Amino acid sequence: MRRSSTKKKSAESVATDLFRSASSKASTKEMDRIDQLFNQYANRSSNLIDPEGIEKLCSNLDVSHTDIRILMLAWKMKAEKQGYFTNEEWRRALKALRADTLNKLKKALPELEKEVRRPTNFADFYAYAFNYCLTEEKQKSIDIETICQLLEIVMGSTFRAQVDYFVEYLKIQNDYKVINMDQWMGLYRFCNEISFPDMGNYNPELAWPLILDNFVEWIAEKRA
Amino acid sequence: MSNQRKRNFQIEAFKQRVVVDPKYADKTWKILEHAIHEIYNHNASGLSFEELYRNAYNMVLHKFGEKLYTGLVTTMTFHLKEICKSIEEAQGGAFLELLNRKWNDHNKALQMIRDILMYMDRTYVPSLKKTHVHELGLHLWRDSVLHSSKVQTRLLDTLLDLVHKERTGEVIDRVLMRNVIKMFMDLGESVYQEDFEKPFLEASAEFYKVESQGFIESCDCGDYLKKAEKPLTEEVERVAHYLDAKSEAKITSVVEREMIANHVQRLVHMENSGLVNMLLNDKYEDMGRMYSLFRRVSNGLVTVRDVMTLHLREMGKQLVTDPEKSKDPVEFVQRLLDERDKYDKIINLAFSNDKTFQNALNSSFEYFLNLNTRSPEFISLFVDDKLRKGLKGVGEEDVDLILDKVMMLFRYLQEKDVFEKYYKQHLAKRLLSGKTVSDDAERNLIVKLKTECGYQFTSKLEGMFTDMKTSHDTLLGFYNSHPELSEGPTLVVQVLTTGSWPTQPTVQCNLPAEVSVLCEKFRSYYLGTHTGRRLSWQTNMGTADIKAVFGKSQRHELNVSTFQMCVLMLFNNSDRLSYKEIEQATEIPASDLKRCLQSMACVKGKNVLRKEPMSKDIGEEDSFIVNDRFTSKFYKVKIGTVVAQKETEPEKQETRQRVEEDRKPQIEAAIVRIMKSRRVLDHNNIIAEVIKQLQSRFLANPTEIKKRIESLIERDFLERDSTDRKLYRYLA
Repeated sequence: MRRSSTKKKSAESVATDLFRSASSKASTKEMDRIDQLFNQYANRSSNLIDPEGIEKLCSNLDVSHTDIRILMLAWKMKAEKQGYFTNEEWRRALKALRADTLNKLKKALPELEKEVRRPTNFADFYAYAFNYCLTEEKQKSIDIETICQLLEIVMGSTFRAQVDYFVEYLKIQNDYKVINMDQWMGLYRFCNEISFPDMGNYNPELAWPLILDNFVEWIAEKRA
Repeated sequence: MSNQRKRNFQIEAFKQRVVVDPKYADKTWKILEHAIHEIYNHNASGLSFEELYRNAYNMVLHKFGEKLYTGLVTTMTFHLKEICKSIEEAQGGAFLELLNRKWNDHNKALQMIRDILMYMDRTYVPSLKKTHVHELGLHLWRDSVLHSSKVQTRLLDTLLDLVHKERTGEVIDRVLMRNVIKMFMDLGESVYQEDFEKPFLEASAEFYKVESQGFIESCDCGDYLKKAEKPLTEEVERVAHYLDAKSEAKITSVVEREMIANHVQRLVHMENSGLVNMLLNDKYEDMGRMYSLFRRVSNGLVTVRDVMTLHLREMGKQLVTDPEKSKDPVEFVQRLLDERDKYDKIINLAFSNDKTFQNALNSSFEYFLNLNTRSPEFISLFVDDKLRKGLKGVGEEDVDLILDKVMMLFRYLQEKDVFEKYYKQHLAKRLLSGKTVSDDAERNLIVKLKTECGYQFTSKLEGMFTDMKTSHDTLLGFYNSHPELSEGPTLVVQVLTTGSWPTQPTVQCNLPAEVSVLCEKFRSYYLGTHTGRRLSWQTNMGTADIKAVFGKSQRHELNVSTFQMCVLMLFNNSDRLSYKEIEQATEIPASDLKRCLQSMACVKGKNVLRKEPMSKDIGEEDSFIVNDRFTSKFYKVKIGTVVAQKETEPEKQETRQRVEEDRKPQIEAAIVRIMKSRRVLDHNNIIAEVIKQLQSRFLANPTEIKKRIESLIERDFLERDSTDRKLYRYLA
């Protein structure tokens, strides 16, 4: 009967322990570096990265601050407030991306983009982008101009034609001054499901948001 | 008993037959054969029935039935062939007569023969499954005489020729016809049908085809219909006289097909005499005839109904979209009522009140009445006109009749809520100006509307009536508690509950001192008894009676609007006033003031004021003085009453917009109601349900419904289903 089993460790468990302590040391070290990176951009008094900080970050990362990848980063962070990153949010993203230096972060961006563009993630990202722009409390809709910009960022590269047409339509129509989440998501479905520009498989009798019915009609009239 | 024993008791058959003369059969047959000959030669009187019967009986008994039977066939056939020859040789008219006579003879002979051969008929025939004697006789006649090549065709041709002659007006021997045709019937139904009826029907069809063609080329629709009626009765009579009853239906359908069915389209659409012409000229008799004739053929009535519907819709559409006719709303509606009466009468008198025609009438009216979007407004104006003056002196029952007719038109309206809005406006004006001809008539109509549309539709209207009554009582109370006010101007106040009456903008203006004092006293009296309420004077809606003296002695009582009163009272203190001064003193809004001044200075017969400079319009630099030279035949002069007018364009737009706005919450309420009970529902079904729920008020637009759904989604009343995009879900 082994009484002192705890005292005598197997080689394996020793190795695990070593690994653990090393990795925990390593992870603490990693977290420290992440925090360090955070502090490079954060505002001293508020302990948040504010818009100024984000701009600095963007230029260091060599991306424009209207680049979709920043929005993707925000998504990865699950950032709540547009223009601001909290420490917790920062940690969340960079830990997941395994990026504790600026360089590593830069290199992680293409991977991140691939991850976001996966169909399962993109719908979530698309919805996130809308919510991210709701700056006021109880705000439920976004004004036309912001929507146009947002569309350009989020869908411009994948659905070039639809975005161009839709933006043009939004600017000349008078029925709606703001777009709500329902209409925003409707547009996503539209781009994914409806063949463009013929729109042969669009059925106005189904429950598409009215703004899309009007959009389709407008295009048909233009072509006639 | 033992078997052996039985054998001993066996009875043996006769070893010897009864001696029968071998020639017995022949001899007996000869006797019978001879008898048959005699019968056919009309010599039967010399025969002994009893002897013949016994002979036949014996033959059958002695097993010579076959000989007897075959002998009968041979003999009869022989005779029939003789007969046939003689018939063939008959000339002209004698042919038919001879045939008939010979047929009768044959039948008599057959009867006798059968009686003689009855035993064979009852025993030999059934056991060997042969044809019975009587039937045999008929078959033989059929085969030997009727179907002989010479007789068959000649007979048929003769008969058909006679029928043709009769149809063209000649008189024929109907008794002979009946007898001959009865022959066919007696020979069996298939003989009748094959040998006579079928060719008869074909020939008839040919005949009527030609007849109808001739008529239709030469007659107009009404005449043709008269001519088409005759053959129907004729043929029925013919059948009754000499054809088999079963032929009646067949020949009738032949006539119907040739005379009516084949020409339905041409008749209905005949230029200058077809259905449309009959409708326009109230030709009840012709249309009645058309109805009863066309009813007999399939699609006959459908055609008539369709043509009537098309005509109605065209005519109705022209009526309602003609700008000339829309100039006078009362005329417009009256014309519609007249048209409806006209068609009601036609359907009643000519189309025997056929329900399908009634429905066609209703659906046509519904179709074109709603083509003109001003129909609801016009109907309300029509009612307004009637309730103001049109029903004066009309008895109670007649009033009810007119209102019922109006309700009929009302039912056709798709936009009943638009009617409600206008009706409310017009009713308000009527009540406030006291211009109703009959209170009972007003209430009568409200009751009818309530029955049609439910309590909600009329609750506000009833509120208006209540207000009028309450105001009356309040006023009494006011004067009772202020006896000192019995001297001085008399105030009549109507207190209107805001929700019940059509929304009016409240316009303030400066009332003359005498009046405003009274008004204040009333206000404090009222608020004293009704705390928590707020009163605002609607100066744009009141009237005043003013006594005025023009020149030295022209006295008149003027009935004016409140605004006009304010303006006129100013002249008690000044002889001459400029526009600006009047405006400042009264604070009446510019457009109202201009209208008010115009009605008193620029209208002949009402020019109590004189304007400088003289012109039709009011300018801001004008000045006014009292017209001392004002004259009027009447002591009481009415200036500028507020009558319900057809709305101007901008007013119409405004009303329409208000109606649209009112519809939005109604649509939303319907959506919420439906979703609350169904929980989950797909898009198309929601649209259908909403339209159904609201159809008693207006026709909901699917696009508008969609907008409301989206609005409800935004406000978190509903959500889209995450998997099936066509579904909506109710959020509690």
